[in-house]
Amino acid sequence: MATPLSLYVPIKQDPITQLEAKAAYDGLVERLKPGLDKAQIVHYARLVLIPNASGGGIQAVLLITTFDGPMNPYLKFFWDTPGFRDTFQGFAKLALNPPEPPVEDLTTFENFITSNNLSQPADLYQAYPQTVPKIIQAFKPKQKPA
Amino acid sequence: MPSTSGQPDKANVQGLIIRGYSHPFSCHMLFKFPDNAGAAKFVTALLPYLQDARQWAEKPKRMLNIGLTYNGIITVKPSLAGHFFSPSFTEGPASSDPNGPQASLFDLGASAPENWWYKKFATDDIHAGVHVYALTSDDLTSLVVLVANAAEVAGVTELFPLNSGSGRLEQCELPDETVYFGYRDGIDNPDLGWPSDPSNTTPQDLNNFLIGYPPYNPGPTLGDAGVFAKDGCYNAFRIFYQDVEAFENFLDTNAPTVARATNKSLPDARGWLAAKLIGRWYNGSPLILSPNGPDPNTAGATAFSYAGDANGVQCPFSAHTRNANPRDEDVNPADAIIPRIARRGMPYGPPPKPPDYSGDRGLIGLFLVGDLASQFELVYSWMNQNIFSPLFSSDTQDAVLANRATPQADTSFTIPTQGAPVVIASLPQFLVTRGTAYFLLPSITTLRNIAAGTA
Repeated sequence: MATPLSLYVPIKQDPITQLEAKAAYDGLVERLKPGLDKAQIVHYARLVLIPNASGGGIQAVLLITTFDGPMNPYLKFFWDTPGFRDTFQGFAKLALNPPEPPVEDLTTFENFITSNNLSQPADLYQAYPQTVPKIIQAFKPKQKPA
Repeated sequence: MPSTSGQPDKANVQGLIIRGYSHPFSCHMLFKFPDNAGAAKFVTALLPYLQDARQWAEKPKRMLNIGLTYNGIITVKPSLAGHFFSPSFTEGPASSDPNGPQASLFDLGASAPENWWYKKFATDDIHAGVHVYALTSDDLTSLVVLVANAAEVAGVTELFPLNSGSGRLEQCELPDETVYFGYRDGIDNPDLGWPSDPSNTTPQDLNNFLIGYPPYNPGPTLGDAGVFAKDGCYNAFRIFYQDVEAFENFLDTNAPTVARATNKSLPDARGWLAAKLIGRWYNGSPLILSPNGPDPNTAGATAFSYAGDANGVQCPFSAHTRNANPRDEDVNPADAIIPRIARRGMPYGPPPKPPDYSGDRGLIGLFLVGDLASQFELVYSWMNQNIFSPLFSSDTQDAVLANRATPQADTSFTIPTQGAPVVIASLPQFLVTRGTAYFLLPSITTLRNIAAGTA
């Protein structure tokens, strides 16, 4: 059974934070791809920069993922996987209301995620029940005959 | 005081965490504090009996350990209210948060949190658990009475979780270290050693159970919460009713099919099926080491591997002990670091007198971990949904412990053999959760500070 995560973090409006949010967005998938490929737990992931209603600037960052299994038990895996920790700590530093205490250990990371997640399992439509490893296994590239 | 050597001082750690007590009598009492002062008075009265983790020259006749829930902690130290502990601990196991502990525990139907504790109190009412151990029944009774009187004097309310007997969770000693369903229990626990290099720790090392040590994953580690929790450990305290009648009926009903498929006698087929459910024979011999029958020489064996049993012919993939600790089995990358849980369980309730199976009986489970979500809840989620390993062809479940109402669960049980597999179309519900509470077993220092009103 998959779980959706919609991490919604309204961000500060000063020019430096706005630039940092754009920098976090640029190339995020490439930066996280090695870890995501290795993890084989995330079906899809993307970062959205939500514009202000006025049309100028970024109101919030929104990370949308769907992954296998329940959420809380796998947060340690992401905290311990290179690339993810820096990314999430970066989001926390952009926050309009920074987490207190700051995201510096597993407990504060867990609280940051659960406090800013807008999704729950019942929100998710699933066209298939298979896990990422099963899908990868089923669609492994076939060896060409010699 | 906490050690300054980098390793925990066992005089500051509650004994229950590190030592597997073998006292034959125990009682697990639940309490609600009236306020900080009442809690302090209560804990003060218990301190003389509080057991730490140091080696004892002579086994104590009676002793106790103390756990606090999140609601208990914020009663004794209101400034810790908020996001200082993990979400699982703060919300507690009865939380209705769809992303919370129940997303892994799947206590549904009769096991649902609204039915816990016979509806006599709410899980949020539990502030403290006092685990009393003794060598004799008289020693146990005397200390239980002392604890109950201390509570009354301090204005602390005792909560009685059962409807039968004293209403308290009292250990029932069964022969040969067995639990209900007849299996020998308590065989395999993490060694809780201290790693020479904490950055190269293994999941069974003590620094993955005690809060405040590298690699600093058990938390909290920061601020006042970090100080309060240092040298503590979490206890996922879980009460299971075990439906002995359903279990025995299941074996009786399916033994003839197994006997035909395996060319065994009916009694042998029954024992074989029971072993396949749990992964060990009744005497504790693991199927991996003793595939053909129980062997006294392997009854307590813990050194074995699943790597050579990739087809499950020796031990089915969904067997309970293989689910709870897959060892070196092929698991998915995100599950590759197999978490360990230190179990301190014991049976409760009087044995049945077949064919009369009426009465309340089961398991008092103390599941000790450094991190509730990534250790206890992760393993529990594996048992409810076998999706942690490519060996599973569908979302099957732990053969004994799972809640069969888990969404998308495949409740069938396949037992591979050298010939055609034996397939049980649907496993029944063998256990009902009577209640769950998440406790922090704080350090001795923290408990002394609570008693002194300086926590």
